[in-house]
Amino acid sequence: MTPRAEIVHWLFASGFLLLGMLLLAEAIVGYDVWRKRRWRTYLWPSLAFGIGVFLWPVSVFFTNSTLHMVAHASWAETAMIAGAAQLALARGKLHSRWWTLAVSVSMAVSGLAFLIHEQNPWFFSRAAFLHHALGWTVLVAAIFPIGQTLRPRAFGWNVGFAMTWVTVAVLLFADRDLAPIFGHLSPLAGAPR
Amino acid sequence: MRRPAVLGAAALIAVALPGTAFGHATLRHAIPAFQSRESVAPREVLLRFDQTVGLIPHAIEVFARDGRRVSGTPTFGADHRLVRAPVSGLVRGGYTVRWRVLSSDGHVGAGVFTFGYRIAAPPPTQAYGASGPTWADDFARWGLFVSLALLLGSLGIRLFVLREPIPDRLSKRLYLFAGLGAFATIDVGIAAFILRAEDALQLPFVDLMYGDLSPFATKTRFGVAFVAMTLGFALVAALVVLSWLLDAPKLLRPAFLVALGFASGLSLSGHSAVEPNSTWFSQLADFLHLSAASLWAGGLVTLAFAVWPLAPELRRGAFLGFSRLATVLVGLLVLAGTYLTILRLPAVHDLWSASYGRVLLVKLAIVSLALAWGAAHHFLVRPRLERGDAPRGLRRSLLGEMSVAMAVLLVAAVLVNSAPPPRPVAGSTQATPAAR
Repeated sequence: MTPRAEIVHWLFASGFLLLGMLLLAEAIVGYDVWRKRRWRTYLWPSLAFGIGVFLWPVSVFFTNSTLHMVAHASWAETAMIAGAAQLALARGKLHSRWWTLAVSVSMAVSGLAFLIHEQNPWFFSRAAFLHHALGWTVLVAAIFPIGQTLRPRAFGWNVGFAMTWVTVAVLLFADRDLAPIFGHLSPLAGAPR
Repeated sequence: MRRPAVLGAAALIAVALPGTAFGHATLRHAIPAFQSRESVAPREVLLRFDQTVGLIPHAIEVFARDGRRVSGTPTFGADHRLVRAPVSGLVRGGYTVRWRVLSSDGHVGAGVFTFGYRIAAPPPTQAYGASGPTWADDFARWGLFVSLALLLGSLGIRLFVLREPIPDRLSKRLYLFAGLGAFATIDVGIAAFILRAEDALQLPFVDLMYGDLSPFATKTRFGVAFVAMTLGFALVAALVVLSWLLDAPKLLRPAFLVALGFASGLSLSGHSAVEPNSTWFSQLADFLHLSAASLWAGGLVTLAFAVWPLAPELRRGAFLGFSRLATVLVGLLVLAGTYLTILRLPAVHDLWSASYGRVLLVKLAIVSLALAWGAAHHFLVRPRLERGDAPRGLRRSLLGEMSVAMAVLLVAAVLVNSAPPPRPVAGSTQATPAAR
């Protein structure tokens, strides 16, 4: 017995919302103030790593299509790796700032995958709309970690990165298994519930 | 050429596709249910999807064990989410249901499941049309063994051979090997699972991407083992990463134990678990055989590629320590292997008359070479190291033994995917078919 997909998405939306809020707090108070307490530097990378770990059960318990399983597995793995790289930077295990690009690469691949995968048009259903919106959001936002790599203290890059995850959370909270989007629902998609 | 393409593409997608897929039709309900045992012959097969679907040729086909088609023309039910096909002429036996529908997003969703009429349903891997494992499955299984060896070997060397503290650069390399091994075990496991399901689904690659894997994940031993192993090795990967980040080598002990425990999934889902004469003892023997081989082969990789180039001062101690550990491992390997050989080959002539026996002979030949190599290290090199000598070319020799060990794992992968010869039934001239 597995929960409905929309419920799982809402659970992960909560994680992404917390991630976004932590990053936003860091952006508002500033890079140096945030790092006055060392434990604070571990917060968002730990959360990203944890989200990756918790995506594995989603991958193996929702196997109604090969792509669905593989997609979640790869997302789990990239989240774990990106989170671990950031934790290692915070901890001093890795030193090169270019490791921040692991997050950017992960986001770019994720965004492209959303767009390549979704075959339906934007207004087919809410799920289709969210796939497109999530894909473009994450793909475009992959530029923020690049900016952070070059200028870690720049307010714009940090706020942009934080707001990306708030947006992802909002989009995931908006997900329903079968629902219209702005009044549109293709008759092919079935009855809304 | 289709199989290699599937393997390659599955591996690529495992790296490159972090998205979600809920835009295509998903089978919600089936009558008869997956792997159900029906006491009354069903008059129709009924499939309910989560959204409207289109009918395409071969939308629902039901096959008897002998390939006889027992289903009629599919039609829609009360709405276009319900597809039904009449069935007739069922006799006692196992039946395969293959379905293919056009999703509203343009994809062809497909799946296969089985049911039994007055008998237990066969597993979906034995669906009509499935051809059994091919060389691609063997290759994937080999990848799984190598990944597991890298994980267990690097952890084993650190925990049982080297003494803390170890040089930082060696520590980093060992963490890298363990992390790679853990993630590779998961990724190759996913590829192996998809390949195994693909054999039963019999779908072209694009359709396979939308194939329903749930009957395999929930109703087969290898599927359940896959689910458990994926979760287990994700935990191992997390423990290894945390151990590295927190400078806490003590976390490697639970990581090793969890990895060892979940490696048993391979034994519990292989033919050692489904043969008619399988017992808990034979499964334990298979687990010990696999674990000892992984630890031995992975230990050699770790010695050759981590200890030797990065910690010259530890070479002597590491070699001597591994030599002691390898003695125990080889003992376990030989004892468990001999027991399993006797169990799986009812007659000596099966060694050359059955394909399983011939593969086993090849394996025995390569294992003999590996054992001879190991014995040379143990009896010739070890005493010199204990006297304080530094034999030249030892790394090359370790690389040689490691290569032979990898070859052993490859042949073992072929052997695991092969069916042992059937065992004669007492008081009968007939034989029971061996299960895969």
